[in-house]
Amino acid sequence: MRSFSRKFSNVIKTAIVVVLGGTALGLLAFGPRATDEFPPGRVVVDYWEKWTGVEESAMRAIVDEFNDTIGREKGIFVRYLSTSSIEQKTLIATAAGVPPDIAGLYNQNLAQFASMDALEPLDAMAAARGITPDYYKKVFWDECCFEGRLYGLVSTCYSIALYYNREIFQQRAQSLRARGLDPNRAPRTIAELDAYAQALDVVDPASGRIISAGYLPLEPGWYLNYTCLWFGGRWWDDLNKRFTFTDPGVIRAYEWVTSYSKRLGKQAVSEFRAGFGTFDSPQNAFLAGTVAMVQQGAFLANFIHNQKPSLDGKWAAAPFPSVDPTLPHLKDVTYCNCDVLVIPRGAKHKAEAFEFIAFVNRQDIMEKLADSHCKISPLAKVSEGFLTNHRNPYIRVFDDLAASPNAHPTEPVPIQAEVDAEMNNFVQRLAMLEVSPQQGLEEMQRRLQAKYDAFMADQRERRKRQDG
Amino acid sequence: MASVRRQLRASVIGLAFVSPWLIGFLVFTLVPVALSLYYSFCSYSLLQPPLFKGLENYRTLATDPVFWQALRNTIVYGAVALPLGMLAALCVAMLLNSKISGVSIYRTIVFLPSLVPAVASAMLWLWLFNSKLGLINTTLVALGVSEPPQWLASPRWAMPALILMSLWGIGNTVVIYLAGLQDVPRELYEAAEIDGASSLRQVWHVTLPCISPVIFFNLIMGIIGTLQVFATPFILTGGGPARATYFYTMYLYDNAFSYLKMGYASAMAWVQLLIVLALTALAAWSSKRWVHYQGK
Repeated sequence: MRSFSRKFSNVIKTAIVVVLGGTALGLLAFGPRATDEFPPGRVVVDYWEKWTGVEESAMRAIVDEFNDTIGREKGIFVRYLSTSSIEQKTLIATAAGVPPDIAGLYNQNLAQFASMDALEPLDAMAAARGITPDYYKKVFWDECCFEGRLYGLVSTCYSIALYYNREIFQQRAQSLRARGLDPNRAPRTIAELDAYAQALDVVDPASGRIISAGYLPLEPGWYLNYTCLWFGGRWWDDLNKRFTFTDPGVIRAYEWVTSYSKRLGKQAVSEFRAGFGTFDSPQNAFLAGTVAMVQQGAFLANFIHNQKPSLDGKWAAAPFPSVDPTLPHLKDVTYCNCDVLVIPRGAKHKAEAFEFIAFVNRQDIMEKLADSHCKISPLAKVSEGFLTNHRNPYIRVFDDLAASPNAHPTEPVPIQAEVDAEMNNFVQRLAMLEVSPQQGLEEMQRRLQAKYDAFMADQRERRKRQDG
Repeated sequence: MASVRRQLRASVIGLAFVSPWLIGFLVFTLVPVALSLYYSFCSYSLLQPPLFKGLENYRTLATDPVFWQALRNTIVYGAVALPLGMLAALCVAMLLNSKISGVSIYRTIVFLPSLVPAVASAMLWLWLFNSKLGLINTTLVALGVSEPPQWLASPRWAMPALILMSLWGIGNTVVIYLAGLQDVPRELYEAAEIDGASSLRQVWHVTLPCISPVIFFNLIMGIIGTLQVFATPFILTGGGPARATYFYTMYLYDNAFSYLKMGYASAMAWVQLLIVLALTALAAWSSKRWVHYQGK
């Protein structure tokens, strides 16, 4: 009896193994397969891009339009892939010799990748399509070049300006007027900005706790690396390839940043900022009304509309003030940034890839994409319809700033990532009053110059070996 | 002759069965490790061929203030979080070793946090540690603490916050201790009881010596684990504020994938290996004095 039940149990176990194993093998051999979703007979161009959500949808629409028009005509199919950590994945893929045909990098990556010969120069292809420097606003052409060569073209871009909450200005009109300030306009100089900020600050006198702030340089603090521009300073001398962190304008800029922590208290500022929500939430400091003025790009209007529609019509934008806007080099100063489309070295379909990049840079397509991202156009020529119908009612402010002679691009430093890391650390230490601006900038100057010199020495050595 | 042929055949068959692992080990472990040693003597970005620089990477490391800060942060974290975690895990394991009703539920509750992915738990703790809205500070304020710490926003409190968070994931260690505790012969406790030993003395003279191999195992794994901590501080603080929680592996990662200095990162990896080896060797050498294997 026992041996029969043991035999029966063995039979059952064998049957289960056979059924499961057979099913697995069957699925492996004959099961469903992912089907390629591109029309046959077309060259497939792989396009890796960092965007997700609404921004991804906007770009996918452009990709679909290309595939249905120029792509169909020229036998090209662009395959869009949303990719996180785009710069790292592009790096590894390029190093492995299997890069995408197009990568949508950040402009900060361009100098780094170009300096290591990881990108295809686009000068010849662009010139053949009539994409010349005067086709672009100068600042964005400069963003796409490194050492005089073109390595990418813009997909989306922005300039930054001052957003101010007009409702708060009106609510605190008395306080503003008492200080001789006009509640119906934005501040025009740094001194005025400080005065407006102080008039609008609401601080609990007993505890020193900040309830709401007029302005905080650290909020959102995305552009603090370039604060010096509004003080007439630059931390990079591209002509002599040297860092100039100890430029008086740079030192003054960070003394100004520190002044807010000193005035309001570093602890109070830190605690106040801890209560802010993420950028794309209704608890964003500007959206929630806890900060009356912020420095931001045109795209903030989109977030206001989506996250806090009650704020629509109650804010305005103006050029971010500089120390002395009467001086020619300090009038209409802005910092510009962009996303770039590049062709990594070793891409299989360079010509086809550039067809798509050129398509994106067509005026009508560029304006469509810029509008859906709520950004400006990098092109010199902008249609009246784009400006009139734009989601951001103050788009002309941003567009004019980007066209200004004092619009500055990201500094073309090959060790940009290290510069960003050092500057972020410096700003954090400044906010906590751990280091004086002068001392911190001198330390950065020494460290980063040494790193840059070492990097360039290696590059020269490599070129010597290549030529030799 | 036949037996030699048989032995050879057996060896070949054995190698054939082991070959998938062996090939994988050679291709995916040994060769990359050897290459990383070579790259540690080079300037290498992945995008361009390596440039031999001799000991320059190691010399630069010696004078790199960020390297020393990252190393200091890692050692401080390890020196506090590891013993604290081991002690907490041991205490919890002893509690879970008692015969009370519902002990299996308690064991599950203790083990559950270690199943939560690192990213998810980091997001959770990010909110718990929020100095204005977080549950921890809200509780502290309710208990009468007028100025609770800024936690992740404070260079002074960010590291203690991470150490506190590390205690949440002691479930794995608890389970290992529990297995060891259940292996302690009951007769030893009875003999100690007969001799008049109190509970504390029983723990000191019976429990700890009997589970000393388990403690040693957890110590070695803990040394390796804490010196490689990465995901939690990467998500929680990004190394801030002001590099107060910038760990060794984060700096290594930044050098490799952000700064494109794979050679420098390789040098850092080898230095890390030497440090881990040294600490492990120290622990192994000291184990002769305090680790007692049953049967010896």
